[in-house]
Amino acid sequence: MRSGGGVLAGAIAGLWLAVYLVTQVLTSPALDAGWTILAGTALSALLIVGYPSPLRGPRRGRAMSTSRRGETPSTIAMMGRSIPLRSGLTAEAAERTVRLLRPLLGGDATAITDRERVLAFVGPGADHHRRGSPIMTSATQRVLDGARTVVVRDLGPDGCPQPGCPLKTAVIAPLAISERVVGTLKVYRVDESTPSREFVEGMAAILSLNLELAELDRERQLAADAKLDALRAQINPHFLFNTLNTIASKARTDPDEARQLLLRLSDFFRYSIRQHGHFADFGQEYFFVRTYLSLEQARYGDRLRVRYDVDPQVLGVQVPVLTIQPIVENAVKHGLADTVGGGTVVLRARVDPLSRVTMIQVRDDGVGIEPSLLEQIRRGEGGGEDGGIGLRNISERLTTLFGERFRMDVRSRPSEGTTVDLRIPLR
Amino acid sequence: MSRPLDDPDDRRLVADLDRLRSARPVDAFDTPAEVDATFRTQRRIAVGYFVVFLLVTLAVPALTLVLEWWSQGRLAGGMSPYFVMAAAGLYVFFFVLALAAATLSSAVEDRMLGGPDWPADEPEDTANPSDARRSRDSRR
Amino acid sequence: MSSAALVTLAAMLVLAGLVARFARPRNASTLDFYLAGQRVGIVTNACAICGDYFSAASFLGVAAAVYASGLDGVWYATGFAAGFVPVLLFVAAPLRRFGEFSIPDFLGRRLESEGVRLVAVGVVQLVILSYLVPQAVGSGLTWELLVGARIGGLSPYASGVLVSTVVITAVVVLGGMRGTTWTQAVQFLLLLAVLLWLTALVLGSGFSYPRAVESISAEPLETPVVVDGEWRLDAPASLLNPDEPMRFDEPGARYGRLGQFALVITLVLGTAGLPHVMNRYFTSPSGTATRMTTVWVLGLAGLFYALAVLLGTAARAIVPGAVANRPWLEALTIDGVLRVPEHALLALGRIYGGSTGLGLIATGALVAVMSTIAGLLLAAAASWGHDVYERHINPRATQRQAVRAGRTAVILVSGLSAAGALGLQPESLAAEFPSIIATMVTWAFALAGSALTPVFILTIWWRRTTAAGACAGMAVGACTSVAMFAAGLTIGSTASDDLGSLLLTPTLLAAPLALLVTVAVSRWTRAPAHVERSWLLMHGTARDREAERLARLTIRGVSREGTR
Repeated sequence: MRSGGGVLAGAIAGLWLAVYLVTQVLTSPALDAGWTILAGTALSALLIVGYPSPLRGPRRGRAMSTSRRGETPSTIAMMGRSIPLRSGLTAEAAERTVRLLRPLLGGDATAITDRERVLAFVGPGADHHRRGSPIMTSATQRVLDGARTVVVRDLGPDGCPQPGCPLKTAVIAPLAISERVVGTLKVYRVDESTPSREFVEGMAAILSLNLELAELDRERQLAADAKLDALRAQINPHFLFNTLNTIASKARTDPDEARQLLLRLSDFFRYSIRQHGHFADFGQEYFFVRTYLSLEQARYGDRLRVRYDVDPQVLGVQVPVLTIQPIVENAVKHGLADTVGGGTVVLRARVDPLSRVTMIQVRDDGVGIEPSLLEQIRRGEGGGEDGGIGLRNISERLTTLFGERFRMDVRSRPSEGTTVDLRIPLR
Repeated sequence: MSRPLDDPDDRRLVADLDRLRSARPVDAFDTPAEVDATFRTQRRIAVGYFVVFLLVTLAVPALTLVLEWWSQGRLAGGMSPYFVMAAAGLYVFFFVLALAAATLSSAVEDRMLGGPDWPADEPEDTANPSDARRSRDSRR
Repeated sequence: MSSAALVTLAAMLVLAGLVARFARPRNASTLDFYLAGQRVGIVTNACAICGDYFSAASFLGVAAAVYASGLDGVWYATGFAAGFVPVLLFVAAPLRRFGEFSIPDFLGRRLESEGVRLVAVGVVQLVILSYLVPQAVGSGLTWELLVGARIGGLSPYASGVLVSTVVITAVVVLGGMRGTTWTQAVQFLLLLAVLLWLTALVLGSGFSYPRAVESISAEPLETPVVVDGEWRLDAPASLLNPDEPMRFDEPGARYGRLGQFALVITLVLGTAGLPHVMNRYFTSPSGTATRMTTVWVLGLAGLFYALAVLLGTAARAIVPGAVANRPWLEALTIDGVLRVPEHALLALGRIYGGSTGLGLIATGALVAVMSTIAGLLLAAAASWGHDVYERHINPRATQRQAVRAGRTAVILVSGLSAAGALGLQPESLAAEFPSIIATMVTWAFALAGSALTPVFILTIWWRRTTAAGACAGMAVGACTSVAMFAAGLTIGSTASDDLGSLLLTPTLLAAPLALLVTVAVSRWTRAPAHVERSWLLMHGTARDREAERLARLTIRGVSREGTR
């Protein structure tokens, strides 16, 4: 994940070379020099405008979007749409799967059931084998109970109770998620021959695998949600205690400031409670960070200096919620709190759409981290210190959200400060 | 005090504005670090737009020196591209540029200073600070 | 001059006065600015800024410059409009938020120094004066064509200058011309209406803009010159390409390679330092509204200047064919070319609208001149009365004394401007500077852009700017531009090439110099103590938000009472 500035420069250079070649070398006689310049300038302008310069930024007037409850990363959802049953055993997915598989399986009718009812049915007999109707054949029940494939040569009396049902033979294979049967795949024929048992079994195994993956996705999502909830609940009691102390002491000397601090504190809590989804606009997270830092500044006074360096267009970018503030809190708590003269916390945010990366850097010039501890943090062990746990929590959450497509670097030297670099893909 | 505006209506307007603005901002306030951040971001925006503005504006006369078509060519109807650009095109460009810059600057300020307007779906109770604000103001 | 034209003129002025007086929105209050998405307040304010800004230079001068120099003249209009882009980007919102209302006030409080305030007052007065002179010249030229009467043995031009100066000064001093937001807005709308009316007539008569440009560009661009006391036409060579004659739609009629850029930079940087325009910004309710106001100004200015350019072109194309059966026009022209380019719009108005048309255009010109002069004189009065008299000469002045000081300043400044206008004989300069009004206004822009704008921008965007640095910067900028300008006037006639035009539009050199001096001196001196507080005011929005919230609450309260 390189920074895009160099790439842009390279692209512009290449573009001018191409324009020069086309207008001056390949065409004969060569065009007027002005044309080269005009074309090059116009194309460069297009390139630069396409590249996010400080000239573009967030759109105005988008309200706080707080109702993104339970959303899933869209890439996974998209993959699920292309692979049958990748998003779980639902009626819709079953319907799509059945339509997709019927020509492949060599049967006249194909159905998928879960443990109780028919999820999808396509082919002759669809008039009375409706979606949602209870399972009718005892053979299906045998498959669900025995977790083995059953071949029915003559459906006859213990098959479909509906008179005049055209279905004669069937192969019924179980769909299982790690030994647990959750449904069946059924292939019927209207003549005497049975569908190929191996083929149906193989297809059922593939579908089972997909179901298993879907289950894993869901579990991972639950885990991420749980971590986020843990983070929300984990408002540092020391922080609250200290802030309330500060406010109490200011209430007498400077009531206006005390009131302002109270408002900020309420903003702080409200934000951490109200953020539901996994992602929020950077602008909102920035609000959270500066609310937090202004409270800490009230406590530490001149010892805590803060500098923000924010690109205009980063403000509208989606970032994982409650990620930046814990890093900043670490910088204040572990980096600066124990120094005599205090120090500066710098939050720097840039976006680079050429490599489609949001870069967030939190830097302090405080005490730094001992190399051995740093090594532990990098390996994700974190020891007993809560700072390590904070970073590890963030790193795990980012892994569940982005897989391998993010980077978090921690650089530090004792007594020289710490830098945390976060690079996450642009959504 | 003699101000540039001498009219009773304008004076009243200005007095109103002064009164509205001189109320010492207590509930709305910015910390120096926040203002500094906004200032830096605004400066990037202003400088960036100014460079674009200057380049485009100066490119219009400059292109004649390198591109004959610019002043000799004829667009539909008989005007040269240069004339079209100078007589009308640049005004459109200025307007669009100004609109973009103003919108962006205001949007950045919206997001970098002050808090979000919390959605109104929150249950109203006496402990709600926004409610406290309201009751305080109504007493004024 | 027929009585019909005079009657039209009088009727239009009375009408404008009536509209300004009685059509003003009643009960307009601050709260209205916050209502209806602030739209109404913003547009009104933008119109008022345009009314202040569009002077004779814009109304008569741009058309004249296009008429005389074609494409090179178009750049005046472009530059005048472009000047608001830096205002928007660098000045408008922080200036409004800081809450001071004049340039000296702002610089004085931001840099915490009375010295800066006084130096700024001096520069502002210089700028105002150099802006006033071309307005007086414009009224003199209008008088010459419209009335033509001599008063007390003076030439028609001098009579016009004197009469207009005396009348406007009297009106301003006696308090009749208040330069209120609404009046200025109405005046601008009148100007725009006149331009739209004339454009509609011209286009309605089958005039094709592109074809006109093509046909008049086919022949060399001719300018009337006086040779041995005789007027005759001359077709000088292009400045860019000496083998070719000047042509309407090609550059080179007025500027060499460098001159073009120098002019654009001068006009672009000048607007941010114009006191009467900047003073307007403080009727905006908030920094955001100020920005949107400027966007509207840019839109309105673009429309206005595009029309002015079109009409200048139309005059070039139409006047030669119209001379034949119009004796009055023949008296003004040499072989179909107007002797004084400023007459272009007036002649066009009379060709299409007869005496009434002439009267309408004259009204427009007079309104443009008057609104600008009123704005300038009021700015001068404010800066003397408020920044100098009240603060330094007589700190315990009563309201009456302060007003009297302001009036004295008005009389003094307008007297000086009349003297300046009389001292410059436009007909003698016209040969050297075609479209003299537009040219002269650039001098005011050059002064403002060299002395005020660099310091202004630095105080807003650089914390380390100090009072000493600002004083030095303003002094250097003003002196450099005046000196270059004087040098340009003395040797300008011999060097109408790059050097000459550079000397006459000195911003290209003077502004960077002022900037450098300000930075250098500031580095040597101590920054003001309360710079952080200034920063919170200028770049923070807390006050805006608080004011907006209070306004919203008040409105809610008012509407709640209304429903009860």
